[in-house]
Amino acid sequence: MIRTVVVLFAFAVVLCGLIVFGPFGDDEDVANQDRLGTPLEADVEVTRAAVTPETDIAAIAQAAVSVTEAAAAPQQAVVEAPQRVDVARPNTDNTRLSDMTNNVLAELGFAGVEHVTTNSEVQRESTSQILAGIEAATGQSSILQESETLEAIVIAALRAGESDEAIDQIVNNAAAAGSVAVPEILVTSDGRVDTHVLLNNIVTQAQIAAGGAAPAVPELSPEDVQGLEVRVVQQATTDVQARFYTVQSGDSLGAISIKFFGSTEHFNAIFEANRGLLSSPDRIRIGQRLVIPELDNV
Amino acid sequence: MIRTIATATCILAAGTMAQAQDVRITTFKSESTFSLNGITFTVTRDQNTNAVLQGEFTRTSRACPPHCLQPISLGSGVETFGELEVMSYLETSVSDGIGLLVDARSPQEFAISAIPGSVNVPFITLAAENRFRPDILRALGAVDVAGGAMDFSGAMDLAVYSGGVWSNDAPMAIQNLIEAGYPAEKIHYYRGGMQAWTHVGLSTISSANPG
Repeated sequence: MIRTVVVLFAFAVVLCGLIVFGPFGDDEDVANQDRLGTPLEADVEVTRAAVTPETDIAAIAQAAVSVTEAAAAPQQAVVEAPQRVDVARPNTDNTRLSDMTNNVLAELGFAGVEHVTTNSEVQRESTSQILAGIEAATGQSSILQESETLEAIVIAALRAGESDEAIDQIVNNAAAAGSVAVPEILVTSDGRVDTHVLLNNIVTQAQIAAGGAAPAVPELSPEDVQGLEVRVVQQATTDVQARFYTVQSGDSLGAISIKFFGSTEHFNAIFEANRGLLSSPDRIRIGQRLVIPELDNV
Repeated sequence: MIRTIATATCILAAGTMAQAQDVRITTFKSESTFSLNGITFTVTRDQNTNAVLQGEFTRTSRACPPHCLQPISLGSGVETFGELEVMSYLETSVSDGIGLLVDARSPQEFAISAIPGSVNVPFITLAAENRFRPDILRALGAVDVAGGAMDFSGAMDLAVYSGGVWSNDAPMAIQNLIEAGYPAEKIHYYRGGMQAWTHVGLSTISSANPG
């Protein structure tokens, strides 16, 4: 009884494989069905049938990739070829750049800017409570690592009147040593920390805090911006411009947001529009072709 | 056979008369006493035979996901505990200072009620995203070695629990620990969790972390 069921099931699997992939001619179909009469043979066939589709899927997937690559190659020939090898990236935490900037300004004594609690501080606080609990239970004292924060480094550098280049050096050395975590949108396609965006955002937020206007959305044309591509898509009532941007060396998501929208605050719109390409905002690679969304209310 | 039953009955009767205790943990065990860093805890069962569950743990149905039923064995070499094993673990490993009973729930849930002698380590703080996770692992006895890795050979045994068979807090904590390199043979899983513990009237504590 069981054997019959197994045979019928095996037959169904083989048949599905044949319908979906159709790798055999009609003659072989007949041959398969003949051999299904004997269970042993049927098992062998199942194994083969099970392997064949998988191999086919892999082969098809591979073919698809190579086709995509081939199709993509001419466009990217203009810029650099996409880097498949992942670069080393600085540690990130989920602290928001705007929170971090806000705290830098508050620490520098900017009027009207209050310290906000960053995600990193929340983590630290809850961890210290847990350590207190473990300490009470084990009787051993534990140490909560006093790790440097990006805020502290930037504040110290700004107070010391360091140049932009020097700040870039200091921050990147700290990030490369792994002693500091940075907001994800500051990570560039080369795996560095984009201190230009970091400093730009401090200036922008300082201007807004001082009552200045938010930066305007710049007008861009493909002639001025390397990697920008504008396509006109015809719709029923109007023509819509779709913009694409190929990631260049040294770009961070924050930098791309500033480039297209004037400030870092719209990085999430870009990130959401490219979720298929970007697993997280810091996983940006040279040669990736990002969709630049239209902001409705800007 | 009859003699055994008679003996057992006598012992039971003697026990009942001596301590007036009707609800024991097992026939020969009325309480579990252990100490944690100099503080002594005693676990007994609720002696009121009419007592029924109250509050949070009377709930049968929580949304799944995230509150999905967990298997008896988490695999990967993690041993699963029942209530008696938890008590014996508290009396031996925890009392000897080589093991900890870990509550993987949130601090708020832990503060309301928890198993006596347990320590709150929410599963989320053991995730790789927590930059301070190495500090927690060091507090549990892991030692830094060259190359950024950690040596867990001197780390404490852990028994991890959460809300109940429907809670994936403890399994997540265990998964996070194993990902961090914690040896599976040092980890135990009390699957029944708070719901099973309170369901049989075992003592709980209501506080922040002990001590």
